[in-house]
Amino acid sequence: MMSILRQQFPADDFALLALVLVLPLIGAFVNGVFGKRLGKEGVRLMALASVGGAFLLSLVVFAALAGEPVPAEGPGARLTWTAWEWFTVNGRSGSTVSLDVAFSVDALSATMALVVTGVGFLIHLYSTGYMDKDPGYHRFFSYMNLFIFSMMVLILGDNLAVLFVGWEGVGLCSYLLIGFWFEDETKASAGKKAFITNRIGDFGLLIAMAMLVYYAGTLSWSGLEAGAGGLQETRTVWPLGNLQASALPSFLAEWLTPDKPIQMQVATMVALALFLGCVGKSAQVPLFVWLPDAMAGPTPVSALIHAATMVTAGVYLVARTSFIFALSPAAMAIVAITGAVTALLAATIAFAQNDLKKVLAYSTVSQLGFMFMGVGVGAFAAGFFHVITHAFFKGCLFLCAGSVIHAMHVRVHDDDRSQDMRFMGGLRKYMPITHVTFLLSCLAIAGCPPLSGFWSKDEILYKAATSHVIAPNAQAWMPPAWWGQLIYAIGIVAAVGTAFYMFRAYFMTFWGDFRGWKIVKRWKDRGHGHHDHGAPAKAMKGPVPHESPWTMTLPLAVLSGLAVVAGLLYAEPIHIAPLEHFWEPVFRTASESIGTSEGAAAALWPLLMVGISAFVVGSGASYLVYVKKRGQPAASFVAAWPRLHRIVYDKWRIDELYQVTIIGMLDALGETAAQVDRLVIDGIIAKLTALVTALCGTLLRALQTGRVQVYAAGMVLGTAAIGWFMLSPHADAAVDDSELRKTGTLSLTATPGHGYRYRWHLEGEDPPKDFTTEADYRVSLQRCETKRVHLAVQNALGSVDEQSYTHCRETREGCCLPLGQTPKVKLPDKLPKLPQIPSIPRGKHDAGIIKQLLNPDGHKPPGRPGQPAPGGAR
Amino acid sequence: MSAVPIPYFLMLAAALFATGAVGFLLRRNLLVILMSIELMLNSVNLTLVAFNRMHGGDQNGQILAFFVIAIAAAEAAVGLAIVLAFFRLRGSVRSDEANTLRN
Repeated sequence: MMSILRQQFPADDFALLALVLVLPLIGAFVNGVFGKRLGKEGVRLMALASVGGAFLLSLVVFAALAGEPVPAEGPGARLTWTAWEWFTVNGRSGSTVSLDVAFSVDALSATMALVVTGVGFLIHLYSTGYMDKDPGYHRFFSYMNLFIFSMMVLILGDNLAVLFVGWEGVGLCSYLLIGFWFEDETKASAGKKAFITNRIGDFGLLIAMAMLVYYAGTLSWSGLEAGAGGLQETRTVWPLGNLQASALPSFLAEWLTPDKPIQMQVATMVALALFLGCVGKSAQVPLFVWLPDAMAGPTPVSALIHAATMVTAGVYLVARTSFIFALSPAAMAIVAITGAVTALLAATIAFAQNDLKKVLAYSTVSQLGFMFMGVGVGAFAAGFFHVITHAFFKGCLFLCAGSVIHAMHVRVHDDDRSQDMRFMGGLRKYMPITHVTFLLSCLAIAGCPPLSGFWSKDEILYKAATSHVIAPNAQAWMPPAWWGQLIYAIGIVAAVGTAFYMFRAYFMTFWGDFRGWKIVKRWKDRGHGHHDHGAPAKAMKGPVPHESPWTMTLPLAVLSGLAVVAGLLYAEPIHIAPLEHFWEPVFRTASESIGTSEGAAAALWPLLMVGISAFVVGSGASYLVYVKKRGQPAASFVAAWPRLHRIVYDKWRIDELYQVTIIGMLDALGETAAQVDRLVIDGIIAKLTALVTALCGTLLRALQTGRVQVYAAGMVLGTAAIGWFMLSPHADAAVDDSELRKTGTLSLTATPGHGYRYRWHLEGEDPPKDFTTEADYRVSLQRCETKRVHLAVQNALGSVDEQSYTHCRETREGCCLPLGQTPKVKLPDKLPKLPQIPSIPRGKHDAGIIKQLLNPDGHKPPGRPGQPAPGGAR
Repeated sequence: MSAVPIPYFLMLAAALFATGAVGFLLRRNLLVILMSIELMLNSVNLTLVAFNRMHGGDQNGQILAFFVIAIAAAEAAVGLAIVLAFFRLRGSVRSDEANTLRN
């Protein structure tokens, strides 16, 4: 079986990838175009079959890749398929860089493809139940399949350009699915916000591509990995080019141009530009604001796109281009600190949220921060392993949230309220499967040993504390020695926070008593009963929350099972890490630049204990606050610091900050433009034009009498004028002075007319008596001379018209003499040949001889006025 | 018997044309205006025929005169129809009463 596969698809023409890609695309096309006619059954079959088929084929691809021999040196096995040549661009110093639509799979992308299609299939299955009542059923699955296709393009693209196509494709699908219920204004604008924020990051990715085309001359992964060393050169980034600040006032120019030009490594610039793209796509500080709003989409979308797959594309890209990042300690430090800050900031925001999906959204942002922390400290494999475990447990958590919301819809038909944890509670009685799967995933994300999240998160934290980037060269900027410890400390605090807010959500949702009863009766009572666990609400008659159908619970069970056991793929401390071995060749180049501190092995178990205690502290505190004390401490905290709570609840007002700074500036710019339009364009230019038009109209209206005879009078007058013009002679002549300067000849040709006769003469001469038919006249001028020619024209009726033409033969300097004067000196038409410079005989000479040799006759050099040169006169 | 010199024809035609033009400009009766137009057309015909005789050879001037006569007939038909319609509308044939567009 395997051998047939290998025979059919050689490693350099692995066309099986086309099938993996095209299946979801077909699904998207069929559901999008024929979805309405297919009916729900057909749409369901199409969507599930295409993604399921892609998953099975991904398994085959994975098996084929695993069977491939791994070279001992360089990057690992790679199966490539080039679809077609896309286009070529001009590279550095005239070289041509060709970009192909090529796809390839290696250990990293094969794993990612399995996760995307596998989790994607489960979420598709879940969606068939969740979206059952929605009128946009086929549209939803069309978008979902299109998303899987774009994500596969992103993962399997063999170069950055193809990856970018997928990158934009998933951004588009994200936009379409966040705004899936676009009738709702807030949901439509949430989609817009996600798209625009992502575009800011994509701009960085475009710049990175341009720089790589220029400096590396290729965009393909293998080419970049081989040529990454060339990115070590430094470039001056400020002052830009050969910019001169001379036009500015001196103090500003001094301030703008530093004494030493600021230099930067190319690798740092490329890595930071790439990372800007990742910050946008993976919702890191400061571009994370779109992800919480993206929860406006249907819950399966949040699970698939905004938790499991798309948002991890940034981590994937950093892992993919790890060899570039590893060249630049500065870029790595920025990646790590961005991840750490995001992890902590998002965790704090999650404390204050009441919306179940919002808690999970901030949790996702926080976990993405952990992933970037991992890849930023050089633990590429660990960081990417967190992507996979996160896909399992966070996908499961979101689907559980969807299941809970589905159940809550029995009591309330309001989107916001059905997601509010203050109305939940005690749901474990009503939905046992959802409860168990949620608990397992919650334990996994909180870092409970030996679940998957424990292994991945602790590997990241361990590596943060013990590894560092080795400087590629002496000039490179290095972070201080305590940098790793700082990242580690922030990470531990964020891990405690993770355990706390996740268990807070768990306890508020599934423990205690169901508080949803009062929604129906007094649902307007929102109060500020934030963590109000007061008197238990009485059970009211009416529908009871219920467990979801099997299509929804099956994916939950599978994902939570994976969340439990997936850790064993990369459990480094207990030496069960098959994935590490599998991925090792992918990160081989990059890991050469990563050093390990002394005593790292000894610190393994102590650091692991710290990780476990972070879980115990966080979850224990949560149990204490929300179960033992029934939320009392949290309520009193809010009462004590209401403003702090408000700020945290409003996600530290980052959105508001953007509103007043960037958006405010844009608004001001727009307002200024509008004022200019109103005052200058409308006020002056438009009014002036209108005035001129009105004036012309007023004048011309006087002629428009409406009397036919007045018009006829105009016609008669016009005819008479034309007749008079035709009957009178016109002494016009065409003057040809093209030869004037050179030879002194001026030719004049009179304009012909019926019965015309001409008489030419020069100024100062007597005019001839008779008119002749001679229409041409020539006159010759000397240099600087001016002459006037008179032309008289007589027509058949005997009337005469006269005109004169004055011309001067000018030289370059402009020496025109007044009319009637002739030049005093006749200048030569041609300059005489210069006398030959005599050659100086060899040997020693008196100083005077040179002067004599140069001018033997002692006269002035020829060609000046007053000294007629020989043979020059004409 | 000597032929009438060409300038005589031309002077007569000019006089006829001037009469027609002045009549067209000054009279207010639509029927008179139409007749003035006919007068001008005929003066042109006279010029054409005179020049045809002066140049001999071909008969282009004569032929053109026939065209002008045909056009004049058509013009008279259309013009009279307009005058009739105008009379039905206004009960008058004065040209200065055709001022609907202006007011």
